Formats: sequence, C-alpha cells, structure tokens
Amino acid sequence: MTLILTLFKEQFKNFGLICRLATYDIKSKYQLHYLGVLWQFLNPLLQVLIYWIAFGVGIRHGAPVNGTPYLLWLLCGLIPWFFIAPTVTQGSNSVFTKVTLVSKMKFPVSILPTITIISNGISFLAMFCVLIIMMFLYGVPITLYFLQIPYFFLCLGAILFSLTLLFSTISTMIRDVQLLIQSSMRLLLYISPVLWDISKNPHLAAILKINPFFYILDGIRDSVLSKGLFYHEIAYSLYFWCLTVLILLIGSVLHFKFRDKFVDYL
Amino acid sequence: MKKQKVKFKNVSKKYSLFKKRSDKLFDIFTGDKDGQGFYAVNNVSFEVYEGETVGIIGMNGSGKSTLSNLLAQVIPPSSGQLEINGETSLIAISAGLNNQLTGLENINLKCLMLGMKREEIRRLIPNIVSFADIGDFINQPVKNYSSGMKSRLGFAISAHTDPDILIIDEALSVGDQTFYKKCLDRVNEFKKMGKTIFFISHSLAQMRNFCDRVMWIHYGMLEDFGDATTILNKYKEFVDWFNGLSEDEKVQYKQNMLVKQREEVKQPIDLGSEEPLSRRTKLSAKKGNNRMRSFRLTVQMIVLIALTLISGLFAFTN
Repeated sequence: MTLILTLFKEQFKNFGLICRLATYDIKSKYQLHYLGVLWQFLNPLLQVLIYWIAFGVGIRHGAPVNGTPYLLWLLCGLIPWFFIAPTVTQGSNSVFTKVTLVSKMKFPVSILPTITIISNGISFLAMFCVLIIMMFLYGVPITLYFLQIPYFFLCLGAILFSLTLLFSTISTMIRDVQLLIQSSMRLLLYISPVLWDISKNPHLAAILKINPFFYILDGIRDSVLSKGLFYHEIAYSLYFWCLTVLILLIGSVLHFKFRDKFVDYL
Repeated sequence: MKKQKVKFKNVSKKYSLFKKRSDKLFDIFTGDKDGQGFYAVNNVSFEVYEGETVGIIGMNGSGKSTLSNLLAQVIPPSSGQLEINGETSLIAISAGLNNQLTGLENINLKCLMLGMKREEIRRLIPNIVSFADIGDFINQPVKNYSSGMKSRLGFAISAHTDPDILIIDEALSVGDQTFYKKCLDRVNEFKKMGKTIFFISHSLAQMRNFCDRVMWIHYGMLEDFGDATTILNKYKEFVDWFNGLSEDEKVQYKQNMLVKQREEVKQPIDLGSEEPLSRRTKLSAKKGNNRMRSFRLTVQMIVLIALTLISGLFAFTN
C-alpha cells in the first residue's frame, strides 16, 4: 500500500508535466495529416458507421434494443470503448516506446501511462458531448440517473490506470505481451456489452461479467438511458473495486521492482 | 574546501550475457544474479569536486559510456554506492532525439520532459535555435539530419537546460571546428560558473585544452586518475606500445582483458565512518525492513484476492 501511495504522490507532483505532455501528445498526433484534429472525430465516426451498418442495419434490421434506438444504444457503449481500447494498448506500449527517450534524462517513468490516459481522456470527453447531443436529437431525457456518470468516469480512470501500469511494466520486458494485449482488446469488444445485448442471455452474462469493463460499460449505458443504479449491484461494485486495487497493487510492485532496470532489459 | 559533487565508491555495473532469449525470461522471473556476466564498470571509486573538469579516456569498449550513464543516473549500478549532488545532464550524440519529429518539436518535447514551464520554453527556444545554427533544417524531421546537425541540436538543448553537472559523451567529436569553438566557449562559461563537467573523448588534444584532471578507464577498471598532462602522457605511451604489438598479440591482449572483465575485482570495502550525503542510491537501503514489507504485501494480496473471489461469486451466481 505504501507503494501505491508513492505512486500517487508521483502522479500529483508531476501533474503539470502530465497535462503539458498530454496536450503536446494530442497536438502532435495528427500533425502530418491535412485534416488535423478533425480526425479525432472523423475516425470514430467512420467506425461507428461500420458497426451501425453491420450490426444495426444488417443483423438487427434496425430493431431497437429494449425500446432504445439501436444507434443511440450502440453509441453509449462504443464511445467509452473508443476510450478504453486505445488507452489500454497505447498505455501498455507507452513505456517501451518512450524509454529510450526518457532514459537519457531523469524522468518519472510511472507518469507515461497516465499521459496516455489523459490525452485519450480529453477526446473521450469531447465524444461524450456528442453523445449528449445525440440524446437530445432522439428526445431521450436526462434524468437524475445521469448523476452516476462522474462515478463511472472515476471507475474508468481507476481501472485504466491500474491496467496500463501493470501492462506497461510487463510488456516492456516481455514484448510478446503487447501482441497478446492487442488481440485480447479486439476480442474483448465482442464479449463486452457494446455491440449486442448480452443481458438477454443471463448464463452467458454471468461469465462475461468477470470482465471489469462490463461493469463500467453497463453502468454508463444504464445512467445515460436511465435504466439502473449502481448500488443495486453492491456485490458487483465490490468485485470491480477489489479487482482494480488488486491489479494496481501487483502493477505497482512490479513497476517499482523493475523501473530502474527497464533500460537493461531492452 | 571545495564542495564534493560526485563520489563513486566501489561502483560496478554488470551486464548479463544471455546465450538464449529464454535465459533473459528466466532472469526476469528469478532475478538470479549468478549467471554469466560482464563487468562494464568494475569496482570504480573516485571523488570529483565542484568546478572541476574531468576528462575520461580509454579504448573502445572500456566502459566510458557506461560510466557516463552511471553518472547521469540513467542506469543504476549493480553494486557499490554513488552520491551525486545536483542535477546532471548527459549530452551524447543522439541523446534522446525523436527521429520522427522536427528539430523544433524535439526542443519542445525535450524541454517539456525536463519539466519546464511553457513560458520558459518559449524564452529558451530562440537561444537554442541560434546556438544550434542549423538554419531551415530546424523545421525538418530529425531523421533527415546529418550526424553533425544531430549533435549540434543535442548539445544546444542540453547546454541550455542549466544543469549542475554536465556530461559530454563524445558529442563534440562530430561537429566541425566552428561548432567546436562555440561549444568550447559555452563549456568554459559553465566552468566559470563553477559547474562540474565530465568530458569523454578520444581526442587527446581536446582533453589537453579542456580538462583539469583525467580519468583513464581500462577495460572497466580505473587505471589511473590524476593531473591531466601526466595521465594523458601515460595513456599516449600505452597506445603507442599497443600499436607496436603484432596483430596476434593485440588479439591475445584483448582476449585476456575480456576474460578478466568477467569477474568483479574484489577489494575490501572501506568502511569509513562517513556522514551520509543528501542523495544515496537504493542499494544502501535497510534490509531489515524488507522482510516485514514483503510479509505485509503478501497479506494484502491474499485479502484482496479473497474479497474479489467472494464478491465475484455473489455477483455472478445470482
């Protein structure tokens, strides 16, 4: 636990640095492209279109999910997912790609995954505003359920921080892990409540709920569409937080054990 | 009395030589330190004071760069203690430049990573650009630079970051005479400001100009450390002697030295009653606490796993 505390202290102490590097990251990402930052929206938009046509129009023939139009239902899951998937893969790669740059100076390595989270998080917030606009267009009211959103954002930040810290440490030393993470994230999209309604099949849902992102994706959707409250599922919430802290603990132990040696293992 | 800036005490840096990839994996999991090793820096002890310019010479592969990395705290030592008082800045030929970004972006990124504020960077950029003096190339990606340009940019950035201890690793050897002159002026400026400078080069003439003291590293060991002229003459003598050997003898000599480098030089560690200085490496941390800590960690881990499993069972079996 003391390790986790030092980790948090490092994050807070360097918070200015994190923000500056994150904004730099966003600015430099699309610099080679003529459309620039517009791609930040264009890219997800095209993907949404693909999934909507394939799943919504193609497989479901445009049928709504529990009374919600499929496009809106899809967006509730897909927008957080567009935050989760790149953050996990880029975050786990962040130490490896930057370690040569960082190793020539004294730099707190533990903030590298956080930079990825923040820089992706900013575009996520922008996309979330798009979601709210879509809600207005579809005439879905914003109710008190919406107050849960900050809680789920906190969950999202916590699990992403823990996971990227753990993965970034492991994948720097064992490069195979990075490929594994990439494929797993692709698989995870199909077994998370993003593209199709898993809850219709309770037996399957019980197994797929092991995935901690299930909790967040379901929670965000329930809050947006005013369907459920998180404290109705106390056991599941407890499971999520225990798992997060466990991953964080393992991650910080490994991180502190190997952080001086990253350069040696390259 | 002059302030002590850098102190090495029986510092070694061992690199493991893995025969297979799987050996590396094994090493990660077990942390086994018995395997085949190679001592790039072997039991080196020295002290350097404020305002000194220290040259480091030695043949290729004698551990000069490893030593400079140790000085810059880029890599941790395998054993021994090192105390460094002040901020260090390492200038190597391609010191942390990102090849994809343009020169200007590199300046920006590097200054950001060094923790500077945006106004500070804005103020510094014209200085750095004019010092590097690479013209319109500043807006080109670094991958298109010549090696001279890279070293100019690298030196310009590091020279403007205001370090206490400057480590120059052969960075000046690729620049031309005009740039060399410029760097020399800058380094002399640093010298006047009372900063400590480590200078690594193969050019004996540069060393003679520059350094107060010279350190001769020979196959990982500190061969000699003292007044610049004396050591440089000694080194010159050795190089002449070495060049006089026949090819076979040279190979034989190198092989002998490399075999020696497999083992650490054993020397009784001087247990002087010295006051601990401000910054110590983790190696001197107390060992007694370690067992307690790992015990606590195990307990926390088990509790967390149990909680996760129980709550998971409740959540999923409904």
